[in-house]
Formats: sequence, structure tokens, C-alpha cells
Amino acid sequence: MSHDSTGPVPTLEKNAPNSAQRAPSPQVDGAPYQPIQRGREDGGGGRFWSARRLPALLASLLALIACALLLYDIVRVRAGSDAASWRRNLADELSSRRLDDTVVIIAAVLALLLGLWLLALALTPGLRSALTMRGEPRVRAAVERNAAALVLRDRAMEVNGVRSASVKVRRSGVRARAEAHFGELDAVRGELTEALQDGVRELGLAREPRLDVRVHRPKQ
Amino acid sequence: MLRTLNRLLLALLGLVLLLLGLSALVGALDLPNRWGFGMPSGWAWSRPQEVVLTGADRTQWRDQGWWWPVVIGILALLTLLALWWALSQLRRRRAGELAVSGDESTDRGPGAVLRGRALEQVMGSEAAALDGVSRARVTLVGKRTDPSVRMRVVLDEHAVPDEVVHRLETEVLEHARTSADVGELPAEIRLSSVRHRPSRVN
Repeated sequence: MSHDSTGPVPTLEKNAPNSAQRAPSPQVDGAPYQPIQRGREDGGGGRFWSARRLPALLASLLALIACALLLYDIVRVRAGSDAASWRRNLADELSSRRLDDTVVIIAAVLALLLGLWLLALALTPGLRSALTMRGEPRVRAAVERNAAALVLRDRAMEVNGVRSASVKVRRSGVRARAEAHFGELDAVRGELTEALQDGVRELGLAREPRLDVRVHRPKQ
Repeated sequence: MLRTLNRLLLALLGLVLLLLGLSALVGALDLPNRWGFGMPSGWAWSRPQEVVLTGADRTQWRDQGWWWPVVIGILALLTLLALWWALSQLRRRRAGELAVSGDESTDRGPGAVLRGRALEQVMGSEAAALDGVSRARVTLVGKRTDPSVRMRVVLDEHAVPDEVVHRLETEVLEHARTSADVGELPAEIRLSSVRHRPSRVN
């Protein structure tokens, strides 16, 4: 979950001189953002799929160690030495533990769970923090959820009457909470919703997220 | 593709572990007997009283001439496969040099060779100079005549992601396409940002 919130910021800053630092952008004059009409035909091309490098590295190293050790010992025994003690112990355990032995059942359950986990890793896209954007004909693009949350929080803070705002971006949608210290709550909510809808358009996402906006008074 | 390979092998490994665990549990809970289904004849794990692997089962082919060569061969193969799989995680498929003239069949000669690093740096600094971009890292991957681009872009305060992607395509990538003539340059862009304090402007 990506989350961005602000504590109460002194009201004085609202008209602080640092507004001059702001990069000129088209929505300064209050006109809604017009999305750029050059998205891919496949609407962004779906989720970003992780390469699963780390799980693959771990699995391959474990497999490498296990196979290499067993191979080494078998070749050593073929060459006339005695089998290593770990291999004799393993053979003894395997031929004495019954299937309803607790150790065997625990091992079986672990193997089952690990297998399910590996299958889930193999079949799900991962990269849950990347939200697919519409992109361009030759470009696939995604924005991280926390970056999206920052963009939306900045838009929320520009709304008149909003003292602090907290924006969470989930895969299912956007949840915004704001404290309004002046102005009608309904009016602030309306303005905030509009600002956030505009912010969502600026994100250029392939799938429009649900928007949930709540405004309340600061607690005294 | 590394992604497909990893997912294929992880799925295979997962399936083996799943089936192993499942069949041991089926035997341990005496399910064939209770639910009245039969396991294939010779199945070792059909009753809870059975041990995991009897000594007789383990050594049943030991006297056959083919047994040890086959065991050693399979283990050697698996070891090599695991080694190759591990190494391919560490290797980066970075395009070192690019064939600029693209079409080597024409009589334009061998054409120029452009170091991939150089193009990456040019694209990176051009991207970082865009409005709303604070940093950008560009990597070229794939074939030298038809590379593709991976971009990691860190957004500035008040960046408009939709606009940033559009300008990356129409300016940075388009410039690289026309100046270096290295094919279509399909790109994958990931936008992130650093935390910043809220500034209140109206």
C-alpha cells in the first residue's frame, strides 16, 4: 500500500513566496488537465510482469548445492571410499520413518506449501506497486503507487480549505482523507474530488482507479 | 527471455514439490483406504504404516550395469542446469555496442559502431533535463541491431506523469531513433519519485 499524508501545515504557507518555485504547468490557471491522446491501442499492454530474479536465484542455488553434494558423494563412493555420514543417516531415516510420523507429515506439508508458493510466484505478475499507464505506441510505462500518491497529495493540498491530506493508492483504487479547517465541508469535498479526478487524469493510467474522498474537520 | 525461463522452472519446481507433499499426505492420512480409491500397483505410499523409502527399494537397481551411469549422468545434468540457471540471473543482457547503419547488407560498408554506454548517457541526461524529471537511468538491452530501452525515471515535485511519458517518447526516444538509427527502440519506462514535503501553493 502506498500512503502519503501531511501533518497540519501552517496556514501561512498557503500564500508563501515559494509558489514562484513551482514549475509552470498547464493547470495553474485552473483548467482541467487534458489527457494526451496517444495511448497504445492495447490500452497500456496490461500488468508489468516481474522477472522473478531473486526467487530464481535462491531456487537455483539450492538445487545446485543439493545436486552437487549428492553427485560428489556418489562419485566418491564409486571411486572406493565410504559414503558420507549425512547420506547414511538420510538413508536410515528414510527407511525407518513411517508416513504418519510427525516429521514426515510436517515435511510433506512444508513441501506442499512451498510448491504452492512457487507456483504462485510463477503464475502471478508481481510488481504490485507498478500501475500501468496508457503509454505510447512503442512505449510501455508504469508509475509506482507511492509516486502516484505523491502526485495526488500535492493536488489535494492545492485545494482551498484543505489543511492536511492523506492519499493512499491501492491497486483497487485511491482513498483520500483531508482535514478542512475552513469552508463548507461539502464544498471542499466537491473541490477536492474535482482536483483528484484531474490528478488521476494527469497520471494517465490504463485503468481508471476508483476514487474515495472524505473530508472532516480537524479534531480540537 | 529470462522472465519466461524463470517462471517456467519455478512452476516446474513448485509442481514437483506440490505433488510430492500431496502424495505423502494422501498416504499418511490413509485416504486411498478411507475414500476407496486405488493407487497404481507398486505405489509405495498407499498406507500410513509404510516407510518413506525402504532400503530394498533404494538399492533395487544397484546391481544393474546401467544404474550408476544413469544416476551420475542425470545428477551431472541437473547440476549443470542449476549452475546455468543461477548464472543467468547475474548476467545482464546489456547491449554493449550498437550497429548504427542498421542494414549491414547494403554496400555502405560495415557502418559505424556506437557504444551502448554513450547512447545511454545521452538519453539519460536528456531525460533528466525534462520538466518534472529529477533523475533518469537508461539501459539498452537486447540485440545490437535492434535494442530496446529500459528507463527508470525519478519524478520531481509537481510532475505530470502522463506528460513526462509523452515527452520521453516524442523527445528523448525520438531523438535517439533519428540520430542513432538503431531501429524502433521500443521502451519500458518505470516512474517513481522521492518523498518530498508538501508545499502549499495557490
